[in-house]
Amino acid sequence: MSTMPDPRATTAALIARLARDTQPVRPLSSPLRRGLLWGLATLTFGAFMAWAVGLRPDMGQRLTDGHFLLEQGAALATGLSAAIAALALTIPASARALRLLPVVPGALWLGTLGWGCLRDAQTAGVQITPDPACFLYIALIGSLPAALLVSMLRKGVPLAPRLTIAFAGLAAAGLGNVALRFFHMQDGALMVLIWQVGSVGLLAWLFGLAGRSMLPWPVLSTRRTRS
Amino acid sequence: MTATGRQRNSLGAAGLNELMRRSQQGDADAYRLLLTRMAPRLRRMIVLRAPWLGREDVEDVVQDILLSLHLSRHAWDPDRPFLPWIATIARSRLADHARRHARRTAINIAASDLAETFCDPTTNKDAEVVVNLMSMRKAMLDLSPAEKQAVDHLRLRELSLHQAAQTTGSTVPALKVAIHRAMRKMKSVLWKD
Repeated sequence: MSTMPDPRATTAALIARLARDTQPVRPLSSPLRRGLLWGLATLTFGAFMAWAVGLRPDMGQRLTDGHFLLEQGAALATGLSAAIAALALTIPASARALRLLPVVPGALWLGTLGWGCLRDAQTAGVQITPDPACFLYIALIGSLPAALLVSMLRKGVPLAPRLTIAFAGLAAAGLGNVALRFFHMQDGALMVLIWQVGSVGLLAWLFGLAGRSMLPWPVLSTRRTRS
Repeated sequence: MTATGRQRNSLGAAGLNELMRRSQQGDADAYRLLLTRMAPRLRRMIVLRAPWLGREDVEDVVQDILLSLHLSRHAWDPDRPFLPWIATIARSRLADHARRHARRTAINIAASDLAETFCDPTTNKDAEVVVNLMSMRKAMLDLSPAEKQAVDHLRLRELSLHQAAQTTGSTVPALKVAIHRAMRKMKSVLWKD
């Protein structure tokens, strides 16, 4: 009768192999720093896309509108903080505060739009028309930043892949939405809420569904060491 | 906890931090020592959190965690403590293992149900037995040689994973994957019929 391999012996052999093959590694920089670098690259890409499509004719007027600036600032902060939160989620035992970063700017973003809806209802009245181009533009502008962020996330540890990738989707689509407002003439708060924020939310949700396949555990080519 | 105990623990944690720092710099001896010291700690943690796991399964999870540590060691910040970092990875790997274990158990139960339904002569008329055997043969046709071998050794001969690995010259993980895929394929063919 053949003898069974001792499971602890295979662990010892694995340890010996890992130690033998070890190489120096450079620790990842902080999620905050990497998130801000990603934001810079994304904003550069968004600015290029807005310039390529053509800035809206009333841009100068918009830039003096406090409500527009507050709304855009909140959307920008939501996207950036979602990217930082996603990166923090891939670092074991990272500061919990980093993961909760998008809560406040997200609430502010939705709050400014809610307040805008009330203001519109009292002045011009509420009007809803189909605007599916928003989804396409946001997906298009967010695609490259999303790919970049996912590649950055794959350097970390996939502890909560669905939530991490959902945050990545929120970050890329959120900043895509910021760029969209620079060339897309759609300022009705309810329209923005439904078609733009809705698109951002939908993209984040779809990303989250694909979390496990987009962010798998890394594997070693020789998975087990046999004794 | 006594003052001495606290001191010993804090020294241990500081020592592990130092070993991990040197491991990131490529020090093979420090890395071997770190992994060797971590293995029993992880074993204890797993047994405590998942007392239903067998010895082999515990060792499987320990190896998974050590591999994850190895592949993620660049994601440790030398300015932060090592133990909470590895504990987070360990909890995550244990949860993944529990999910896989639950899935595998469900497949095994489904496979046992299939075997009972198709092989119990008292519950089948002769014509049904022939049809069922034909269906089983048809389901087996789609399997790759490795998957057929896994079904043969693990389900028909009822060998353990280690015995089957030794007999076939394969590995336990490869056999686990093969039987998982085989069961999925066979179920899809049989349910389609």
